[in-house]
Amino acid sequence: MIDVKDTLLFRFASYFLREVKSFLETLGNIGKDFTRVLFYILRLRINFKAAIEQSSRFAVDSLPITLTIVGMTSIIISMQIAPELAKQGAENYIGMLSALVMIRELAAIMAGFAIISMIGSSFASELASMAVSEQISAMRVLRVDPIEYLIVPRFLAGVIMMPVVFILASFVGLLCAGYVSNWTAGLSMLNYIDSLWRGLYVRDILIAMLKSAFFGGTIALISCSSGYSTRGGAKEVGTSTTRAVVWSFLAIAIWDYIFAAMFYL
Amino acid sequence: MTIKVENLVKTFNNKKVLDNVSFSVEDGETLGVVGFSGSGKSTLLKIISKLLYPDAGKIETTKNSDIAMTFQYSALFDFLDVFHNIAFPLLERKEFKGKYSREELKKIVAQKLKIVGLEGIENKFPSELSGGMQKRVGFARAIVTNPKIILYDEPTAGLDPVSSTLIEDYINQLKKELNASCIVVTHQMSTITRACDKVILLYEGKIVFKGSTEDFLKGTNPYTEQFIKASIKGPMEIKSAT
Repeated sequence: MIDVKDTLLFRFASYFLREVKSFLETLGNIGKDFTRVLFYILRLRINFKAAIEQSSRFAVDSLPITLTIVGMTSIIISMQIAPELAKQGAENYIGMLSALVMIRELAAIMAGFAIISMIGSSFASELASMAVSEQISAMRVLRVDPIEYLIVPRFLAGVIMMPVVFILASFVGLLCAGYVSNWTAGLSMLNYIDSLWRGLYVRDILIAMLKSAFFGGTIALISCSSGYSTRGGAKEVGTSTTRAVVWSFLAIAIWDYIFAAMFYL
Repeated sequence: MTIKVENLVKTFNNKKVLDNVSFSVEDGETLGVVGFSGSGKSTLLKIISKLLYPDAGKIETTKNSDIAMTFQYSALFDFLDVFHNIAFPLLERKEFKGKYSREELKKIVAQKLKIVGLEGIENKFPSELSGGMQKRVGFARAIVTNPKIILYDEPTAGLDPVSSTLIEDYINQLKKELNASCIVVTHQMSTITRACDKVILLYEGKIVFKGSTEDFLKGTNPYTEQFIKASIKGPMEIKSAT
């Protein structure tokens, strides 16, 4: 007689249920940690020194890679679009199009991806290592709340510094697009800037900065929460880091959709 | 009485890790908790230190007793130097924040380091210290708030015999200095002999021996006899040690 447990359907169902359980647990942990982070922020129980340290780490450490990624993406897109627009006689739209794409979408999302891989993964692995080496337990025994000491400063760093990174990334991205347009489509820098102004709206910049703040906070929260809830050993540190990266990617894609639907639909 | 544990029960995945565990530890007394791996010793410490909650039972401690705990692998904060590790609760705990000046903190840290025989290492990072030194810094951090209850999780694990003896001496010294109640989870017979006044032996979450260190070492109880002789044969099945 066939044992039900050996059937493919049973194994698939078990795997599916396990994954659903793990998904709900992760979601629950993030929600719980977010509530406590908010509790400390609203009561102004903020370690400002740690928040400044984390902010400098968030922005400075990630900046070279973020600017490189945004710059390269901008160069690649402009290399393909600028000559085509020039061929159609629409070179006066290159700057405008670059501004729309860069401000509304590209700078924030590409910076978000760079931050996830540079900072999010580092937050997650750092806190996961602390958890498995009992440093977080030690903190709790010493009656210092790890959420207040470790997560609140990182969360604030994400919320505050991500818009700054976005502004710098946009500037570099637009600059790169200008140079490439000049090189591939023969568009003068003056004409490019003139066209750029026509696509640059204060509303877009403010929305993108707000979106970046949401991205930064979400990346920091998911990464810290994933690391903080780690149990086990070295393998689990790796699993938590991967989970933090995957969840952060998904979360900022969802936020991006929500912002686009809310403000541009 | 400083710690009184009554009918403690803790279950993980339908398995009782602690089953009606009761004992008390007086001021200036050290209780050794022994047993095979997986017998519930570390869970017991985690419940007393409030890292875990019991399913049933209660723990009474003398009012406002600060509970300190040292960890098997020290659990020093690797991003902080020795000074900031030891001063951590005084710098970050709500009731101590801003209470001490930098100079006062330096004095307190130096004094605690002196107690554990490690003067002048304030600027070193945990990664620059040996395992034994890390444990002693962990001790110094644990006693910085002058706690009345100190919990030691396998304080001599992974140390050479001489370092173990040193650690055992410090356990005795700290107990005398602070008149603290101590609970030591250990596998090492020398720690039981040299540092503990009484012992409980846990097996599958239950206390199978409770008495003085002298009585424990006599090995008249079949469980203690098996433990002392480190014998595979006896009332305790080895499967729980894996």
